[in-house]
Amino acid sequence: MRRAALLAALLVAAAPVAGQAPLDWTPDEIRAVASHGPWPPPVAVDRSNRVSGNPAAILLGQHLFEEPRLSASRQVACGDCHQAGRDWRDGRARGFGLVELDRRTPSLWNVGWQHWFGWDGASDSLWMQSIRPILDPREMGGSTRGVAKLLREDRQLACGYERAFGTAPGADDERLLVDAGKALAAFQQTLVTPRTSFDDFRDALVAGDTIAASRYPIQAQRGLKLFIGANCASCHFGSLFTNGEFGDTGVPFFARDGEVDSGRLGGIARLRASPFNRLGQHSDDATDASATRTRHVERQHRNFGEFRVPGLRQVGRTGPYMHDGSLATLDDVAQHYSEVSPDRLHSDGVPLVRALGLSGEERVDLVSFLRSLDSDTPKLLPPAPLCP
Amino acid sequence: MRRRAALLSFLLPLPAWAGDCPLDLGQGTTGLVVFSSHYMITFRPDPLQIEVGAPFALVMNVCTRRGEAAELVRVEATMPEHKHGMNYSPTVVPVGNGRFRVEGMVFHMPGSWELGFDVRSGEEIERLTHDIVLK
Ligand code: HEC
Ligand code: HEC
Repeated sequence: MRRAALLAALLVAAAPVAGQAPLDWTPDEIRAVASHGPWPPPVAVDRSNRVSGNPAAILLGQHLFEEPRLSASRQVACGDCHQAGRDWRDGRARGFGLVELDRRTPSLWNVGWQHWFGWDGASDSLWMQSIRPILDPREMGGSTRGVAKLLREDRQLACGYERAFGTAPGADDERLLVDAGKALAAFQQTLVTPRTSFDDFRDALVAGDTIAASRYPIQAQRGLKLFIGANCASCHFGSLFTNGEFGDTGVPFFARDGEVDSGRLGGIARLRASPFNRLGQHSDDATDASATRTRHVERQHRNFGEFRVPGLRQVGRTGPYMHDGSLATLDDVAQHYSEVSPDRLHSDGVPLVRALGLSGEERVDLVSFLRSLDSDTPKLLPPAPLCP
Repeated sequence: MRRRAALLSFLLPLPAWAGDCPLDLGQGTTGLVVFSSHYMITFRPDPLQIEVGAPFALVMNVCTRRGEAAELVRVEATMPEHKHGMNYSPTVVPVGNGRFRVEGMVFHMPGSWELGFDVRSGEEIERLTHDIVLK
């Protein structure tokens, strides 16, 4: 009797989810699951940023990220909207700096692997995107001159600049503004989410390890099958769960009464008009190879109302959802994809997004899968002093 | 960025070709061949493996069936199923003797893509196509 009890206990230990086998996965499905990994990917390096990956620049960037003196009022820092303890976002439907914005503050997790930034992709590099809020009168309202002066005159920042860039801050204000953006970018490239229960399942499935695979809840497995079957990965592709491009999912594009947010259409116009894009003098990539997308991107009618496909890692903790924060919960998102109107999604061909007509149970499964992309992130320690 | 076009399986040794328009892609001897009754095109993506969302170029030779260099006017790519094209417009750079380099291609979704090549060696433009499935 006692031996039998012991044996049972051992069996339970070996298969923690006793009695639960993984679902059957076809070779095509396994290939689809495999395409969402491995995690983490190789470290992101931006050749247009000469301090990408440089530890002194990362440190300077972390200081600048929490630096309210970059703003006109000396009261708004990047970190007020992209809050470290809140998955680098603010939890509001729409951002709020000096006034309320039209769009939601996105989380900055894994941002280093993107190639278009902002919901409209108006920036083609992380450093360009980091300059934008400093100068935007609605966000921080700062100035090129103000940032340059701060870097030159604050002893700690000037010293941190010299360690990161190899020279003391010079007389060229615009260059200093761009360098501040590049240090901020170097810091943000380090914001990488840890592995998740999905990643363990994905690796187990690829390795054919059924015991390890069976630890992934059945509900999440069913949700993952729905995700694959509905071709969500046409847009939410690869290990980041985004192809980095733009799409229309039928979310209304009214910014406020009578005003529309043209999304990607306006984004390309702003990209082209800016002196800070990769085709300008501030890119550090002598080969110019990293400017290919910027040089060839084409503005098309269908870009109207398209927004950047968000990555889905950490998505369970980074609501509300969509560019305007109009959907409060993941269940609302599942409901949206379940009921979206075909009239709103004018498509001549096979639509990429169509009403899935999910049952309540299927929605729960889908959300359970999406939540399996969350992880507990280590608390970021306050940065070391720049020049002790 | 894991999924790749199953290109390697289609790569053919190119026919040895004497004439003004060598179909050798200038490097190695493998590429894809597309032809019509008038034209013969060989091409190879650079890098060889196309990945979803990653820019690539096409290294191309465009010849008439008589072995004369022809002109590559335009390259387009569409997803016929969804009726949309790329988000990027590629440029064609002639490098002489029917050789071309096409820059700025990006397939931003997995699925079936149709490459369209507009070529000419006189007045009329002819379109040749080739399908690629990106998984
Ligand atoms: C007032 C709130 C606010 C402040 C302050 C702010 N941001 Fe943002 N951030 C936003 C909003 C809103 C967006 C989306 C912008 C858009 O799509 O137009 C955004 C977008 C971004 C993105 C693009 C993320 C992506 O996935 O594309 C980055 C990177 C970023 N901010 C970095 C910064 C940095 C660096 C600073 C400080 C220099 C900063 N932000 C200051 C609200 C803010
Ligand atoms: C046509 C491309 C496309 C397809 C297909 C697609 N999505 Fe999306 N998804 C987007 C875009 C674009 C957004 C942002 C829309 C916006 O901001 O208005 C989005 C937003 C989301 C969000 C909210 C993320 C956030 O941070 O706001 C979730 C969750 C999501 N999609 C899940 C799915 C699921 C599940 C499917 C399959 C049923 C799917 N998507 C299919 C393009 C797509």
